[in-house]
Amino acid sequence: MSVKVLLIDDDQDFLAILAERLMIRDMDVTTVSSAVEAFALVESQPYDAIILDLQMPEIDGLQALERFKAINPNLQVILLTGHATVAKGVQAMKLGAADVLEKPVDIRVLTEKIKKTRVQKISGQGSEGGNNTVQSSAPVLNGSFSRLMQGIEKLFKKS
Amino acid sequence: MIRFQGTANTLGLLFCGTMTASMSHEIKNALAIVNENAGLLADLIALAEKGRPLNPERLKTLAADISRQVQRADSIVSRLNRFAHSAGQPVTTTDTREIFEFTAALAARMAAMKGVTITVAGDNTVQVQARPFIVENLLWLCLKHLFAVSTGNQTVQLGAENADSHVVIGLQFAEGTPVEEISKLVTQEGQPLIIALQAEVSTDAQRSLIRLTLPKKFEE
Repeated sequence: MSVKVLLIDDDQDFLAILAERLMIRDMDVTTVSSAVEAFALVESQPYDAIILDLQMPEIDGLQALERFKAINPNLQVILLTGHATVAKGVQAMKLGAADVLEKPVDIRVLTEKIKKTRVQKISGQGSEGGNNTVQSSAPVLNGSFSRLMQGIEKLFKKS
Repeated sequence: MIRFQGTANTLGLLFCGTMTASMSHEIKNALAIVNENAGLLADLIALAEKGRPLNPERLKTLAADISRQVQRADSIVSRLNRFAHSAGQPVTTTDTREIFEFTAALAARMAAMKGVTITVAGDNTVQVQARPFIVENLLWLCLKHLFAVSTGNQTVQLGAENADSHVVIGLQFAEGTPVEEISKLVTQEGQPLIIALQAEVSTDAQRSLIRLTLPKKFEE
């Protein structure tokens, strides 16, 4: 059974091309261009992973993440962002994001993360606020966000 | 005056920071799509090596998509370059329409995030003598405070008209917009810009209008 993914981004070009690449990797992908459209889908259908753009009109990624978690705390949400900041990364992880990845994203890293979220979902490990272990995901993060996450890790250690 | 100039420069730096952050984000988005297109090409080649035939039409579409994203990124870089150069531009006589269109382009992405559309009114030529960067900065403050209170789906129209020795720039908001509140915040935050431009800010709450009155001829 293929992994069921809900992809949310207001950039239609990005949405279409990333969906095609994930489908080549045998994933069952649904695309929507706003979080508002996604809420109804999430309430009616199960998804193994939700890939969510951090900056979107109407409702931004963090607000959408909070709403997804309110609908179903076990939803596995991976945030994609053009420019991540430490503050937003920390906030996303505290709100229960399964991961935060910076665009342009490495498809291998994203695929690995999606598969990992499915395993977590099946094994019943939710990613509700504060349960995430930043350290465990840091080694597979790509590019500059890896450095960013090291910063987040230090912040967590301090607190 | 020196103190106000200093604060105007600080506001200018904040303006630069906000705009470059926004434009670099836009460039990143275009690069992300180029990256996915390149990745898809690699995917299709890998599939072809496993026996799935390559569809030339799909390759043509991919090449066109990459080209479109490169053009998109190029226009953002051109805007960024123009913006960077405008920071040091001295007092000059400029068509207000040019200033409006450039400010609208700078703020377009942030406006879209808040469900706001920025339009430029009319096709009349109104020229103003000022530092365009400071006018853009003051217009940005008006837009920024509008975005903060916007509930989405609204349009703001920028326009100008001649009035004797002055030029009146108008920001026409949607009915019900708290223009007096926006104007108050702009006047507080943008005081050094208002002084630097020798401008006055007024409102017409009934018409949901903020007016920026600038001298047609700038006196040093």
